Amino acid sequence: MATVSVYSSPGFDFSNLTRNHFLAEKGLPLPKATSTGTTIVGCVFEDGIILGADTRATEGPIVADKNCEKIHYITESIRCCGAGTAADTEFVTNLISSNMEMHALTHGRKPRVVTAMTMLKQYLFQYQGHVGAALVLGGVDSTGPNLFTIAPHGSTDKLPYVTMGSGSLAAMAVFESNWRANMSRADALQLVKDAISAGIFNDLGSGSNVDACIITANNTEMLRNVEMPNERVQKERTYLFPKGTTAWKKEDIRKLVLTEEVTPLAVEAMDTT
Amino acid sequence: MTSIGTGYDLSASTYSPDGRIFQVEYANKAVENSGTAIGLRVKDGVVLAVEKLVHSKLLIPDANRRIQTLDRHIGLATAGLLADGRQLANRARDESSNFRDSFRSPAPVKYVADRLGSFVQVYTLYSSVRPFGISTIIGGVDQDGPALFVIEPSGVFFGYHGAAVGKGRQLAKTELEKLKLSELSTRQAVLEAARIIYLVHDDSKEKEFELEMSWIGDETNGLHVPVPKDLLAEAEQKAKAALEDFE
Amino acid sequence: MDHIDMNRLKQGEINLGTSIMAVQFEGGVVIGADSRTTSGSYIANRVTDKLTFLHDRIYCCRSGSAADTQAIADFGHYYLQMQTQTMGTPPTVLTAAATMEKMCYQNKDQLSAGIIVAGWDKKNGAGVYNIPLGGGLFRQPWAIGGSGSTYVYGYCDATYQEGWGKDETVKFVKNTLALAMSRDGSSGGCIRMCVITEDNVERMFIPGDELPTFWEGREVLGEATKKPLAAIAAVSDVAPMAVEV
Repeated sequence: MATVSVYSSPGFDFSNLTRNHFLAEKGLPLPKATSTGTTIVGCVFEDGIILGADTRATEGPIVADKNCEKIHYITESIRCCGAGTAADTEFVTNLISSNMEMHALTHGRKPRVVTAMTMLKQYLFQYQGHVGAALVLGGVDSTGPNLFTIAPHGSTDKLPYVTMGSGSLAAMAVFESNWRANMSRADALQLVKDAISAGIFNDLGSGSNVDACIITANNTEMLRNVEMPNERVQKERTYLFPKGTTAWKKEDIRKLVLTEEVTPLAVEAMDTT
Repeated sequence: MTSIGTGYDLSASTYSPDGRIFQVEYANKAVENSGTAIGLRVKDGVVLAVEKLVHSKLLIPDANRRIQTLDRHIGLATAGLLADGRQLANRARDESSNFRDSFRSPAPVKYVADRLGSFVQVYTLYSSVRPFGISTIIGGVDQDGPALFVIEPSGVFFGYHGAAVGKGRQLAKTELEKLKLSELSTRQAVLEAARIIYLVHDDSKEKEFELEMSWIGDETNGLHVPVPKDLLAEAEQKAKAALEDFE
Repeated sequence: MDHIDMNRLKQGEINLGTSIMAVQFEGGVVIGADSRTTSGSYIANRVTDKLTFLHDRIYCCRSGSAADTQAIADFGHYYLQMQTQTMGTPPTVLTAAATMEKMCYQNKDQLSAGIIVAGWDKKNGAGVYNIPLGGGLFRQPWAIGGSGSTYVYGYCDATYQEGWGKDETVKFVKNTLALAMSRDGSSGGCIRMCVITEDNVERMFIPGDELPTFWEGREVLGEATKKPLAAIAAVSDVAPMAVEV
């Protein structure tokens, strides 16, 4: 190893492994992925599905984004809320959205929610939980309204009301006490708002605003920031000090902006021979 | 065959202008040169019998067997190139064993015939290979009862009550047609099979032959086994007697 | 035997800490399961259906990792469809169980799945096949599985009798599962059952507030606390406890 060889042997290079271990031990671990410590919910009502989500994205104890979007587009009448690793939920929903479009094109009809569910669960199962996406998938298709949860390891559940993410317990408490079969659109929306609000106010990982998405047989309505319970208000006091608060003894004003004169050289003509 | 190849017979991957594949038809010729093999599907089982022509007096008896066992309940008799029969039997054993492995039950005879048909057919598609020079009789007893199939060099296979391939197939078929196969017991079928093989053997062309017979039925407990020595002897003796009556 | 080794479950994996069961009788099988799915100490689903369709008359009961067993069942369903098309006849329960066992055994290092395959076919009639954690295929007249099963082996051994009809078998499954669910913390909720016969598959559902409680007897503690309360009410001059403000 005295001289650097121009020839590098084939295969993986593990030489940085011990270095990284050492650095991590010295208190310099690898950066953590942005995770959406989240409250996401879904609920069946009389003529469709309502999905809900909060809008906080976190990086450990830091709020990385105060108003992010967690309800992802799959198809026009199928949407998916994502919790877990933000990059993974974004990528996996994008990928399945693309595949669903292809699926619709090859078969010449509107794809079903179970199709998206199967694609997602098979993808997540393949990665054995390393793709950290916890999803709430909902939509309306030829079979009617469908609602699923998909856990990172690829297991799925089909239920009339579901919650996921760190705020799922708070949100589920709301659903368990107030959900009824065949709710009206207005009642269901209020319930979803309440469930997400429960997450926003009682779970540290969730916060900011409420997003909702109402999917019916022939219309999808995305309600961005349908509730904004955490808007910044005017501060009660300002921290501006009146001029002269600090006394001074002498004054010296210097010009900090330098001016420079530039003489352009003669520009050579383009060779057009 | 009426027409001659004229260049269209050099490869299995070339059709003649009238839509034939000569290499496959030549393979059938190889079968026609072989000693007769017959199969009888009867009431409770299947009997396979082969007229094995003995080319040399130096060969020990029972050498170069043409009936082989594929699985506990399935046997196979070939007419044509002996080595091709071996190759096909080995393939059939693999198929049967794989079936057992995945389904935990004995393979249906039809399944094995189907798989072998597909295997044989592949050899009619490429210029780099030669089609199998054998017609194969597969017989066995599965959960649906006795079954008998013949696979030809082209890869097609049909199910039969009675089947005959090889040199004496024409005469054998006429004899088989006279029998009430679905009413015969396996033991009776053994006698009939021996009689037919002795009958179709052409003494004037080939002098020596050995009768090779196997059976599967209630008496063998559903296993494919050679016909026992005493029964074989009895069958041969009766066959010879019948031959004298016939002539 | 079907105990789920919690260390084998991947971090954060959803678990079917389960009570499952299948019993054969003349002409069919009864399969049953509780309805609890857990993620750590949280009940992720309280009305889970662990009785999963494999073929027209073949079902499986799933225990272990939810993701693993769902994936296995999905593949099993697919293979059996393919087999039906290529063979031209519906598969036997043995064939279905063998297919499932193959997946469980060949991928034993990656999986935590304890599965019971049960159903009816023309060739062998009713059949119950147990596939424990690392694979293996065992035909049994009755089989129990999941974390709750360990509590009820004795009850099953003592209770099961050959020659039962459908109704007795259903009662046996219902009672066994209720016992298992009452003792096992990671089992609970409702009971789901299926009766599979040549003619049809009949689903049954026992809500959580209608579970059998035949073993509980008369409530002793409740009675004891009730009497002093009544006595207190009778004595009017008992002063309420002083509360600091």
